[in-house]
Amino acid sequence: MAKNQDIIKSIDLISDLRYQITNQIEGKSLLACIQCGVCSSGCTVSQYIDLQPHRVVACLLLGLKDKVLNSNAIWYCSLCHRCTERCPKSVDFSFILALVRNMAVKEGYIPPEYEVSINAVLQHGFTVPYSGDMKKTIDRNRAKFGLPEIIPPKLDELIFIVKETGLEKTLEDAKKKKKEVKI
Amino acid sequence: MDYAFFLGCTIPLRYPQLEAATRAVCNILGIGLKEIHGASCCPEPVAIQSLGIETWLTLGARNLALAEKMNLDVLTVCSGCFETLKTVHVMLGKDKKYFDMVNKILNKIGYEYKGTSKVYNIAEILSEDDIIQKIKNAVSLPLEGIRLASHSGCHLIRPSKILEFDNPERPELMDKILSALGTEVIQYSETVTCCGYCARLNEEIGDDLCEIKFTDLEKNKVEALITVCPACTSQYDLHERKINRDREEKMEIPVIHLPEIMALAFGINPKSENMDIMKRAIRPRKLLEKLKIEI
Repeated sequence: MAKNQDIIKSIDLISDLRYQITNQIEGKSLLACIQCGVCSSGCTVSQYIDLQPHRVVACLLLGLKDKVLNSNAIWYCSLCHRCTERCPKSVDFSFILALVRNMAVKEGYIPPEYEVSINAVLQHGFTVPYSGDMKKTIDRNRAKFGLPEIIPPKLDELIFIVKETGLEKTLEDAKKKKKEVKI
Repeated sequence: MDYAFFLGCTIPLRYPQLEAATRAVCNILGIGLKEIHGASCCPEPVAIQSLGIETWLTLGARNLALAEKMNLDVLTVCSGCFETLKTVHVMLGKDKKYFDMVNKILNKIGYEYKGTSKVYNIAEILSEDDIIQKIKNAVSLPLEGIRLASHSGCHLIRPSKILEFDNPERPELMDKILSALGTEVIQYSETVTCCGYCARLNEEIGDDLCEIKFTDLEKNKVEALITVCPACTSQYDLHERKINRDREEKMEIPVIHLPEIMALAFGINPKSENMDIMKRAIRPRKLLEKLKIEI
């Protein structure tokens, strides 16, 4: 017998959750899953995660949004792409997981390390800081090997792209919601 | 053949010695590398892709549009850049809605993404038959009697439906390149085991995966591990040092980037303007001794 707290009421299911994935680029393959579990059996990080890949797909299809967003499975993926490679129904699970992480970010779940990366890209054009003293050191190291000067991107172009694609607003909203990432 | 040379972040900014070796090797093999001015981070496939797929696609398409202006295909030296740029290229080629969305934004800053430049990883170019012949001709110091093993890494070979490079379960092309250097390439069980760098939000995963890898390499008496991705390279190099800390008998399996080992076989001085093979946590002292190279 299931305990009371394990029972999920149909009213709590997000019935269009699957479409929030399938209406995005490469998301349609989600619907092809037959729950065979090949993805989970070959998963590099299966022993570290609390929701196996085929269960993540099942939750997405059922509309169990919180269950997925509160799982560490979405953050511990090593991006080895074996799930996608081996799926007999061509479900692109490793990419769908990126779409799920996008969904989590919109809900306010952002690993601090990801914020560091996007801020570095917006401030320097690269994930590695490249300005001020850092730039001097890097340029000196490059000169030792006779390497050509780096012509970095125009930062206002990158800032424009981040704004126009909606990420700037997503990050501002996420700051207000600020939820702790389960890692 | 000329390519638009996409450097990314890690190699030019953290490991310029790997860029130097790559340029030296390409120069010898007649592979022309043209600088892409104004390129940004690819953007990388962990954080930026996870934050917003539209942003990731548009920043990637901007980089590709720069190469298109040069009328050249793109050559990457980092598997992360390869995965991002090739995936952006393939996905936007199939999805008109996103193709238009990306271009609507890019047009406002004076770019157009057409999808005309193909994306290659350097290992792909080096494993072509005519280049293999050139490699064989360029070897002045055959790496005979050295037990080398390769690690293709994940983002060079999977997902194969997008990357279309090598066998995704039993990769062979890196070994084809290494064989051309006159070396014995060791086959081992954990060939396709992931380095765990991308699962870095849980440190334990990387620790465990590197332990598995090095246990197998040690069992097979491998004398150097050859990689193509800067993330795998630093992950293994630093973890080997970490594993060594708790051991009395230290391992010495240097992790060497593919162009570096090629440069060595081409007779390039390993500590010069063209490369610095000692710049790593686990230095290849025994390997150089065995090859009778003094530095």
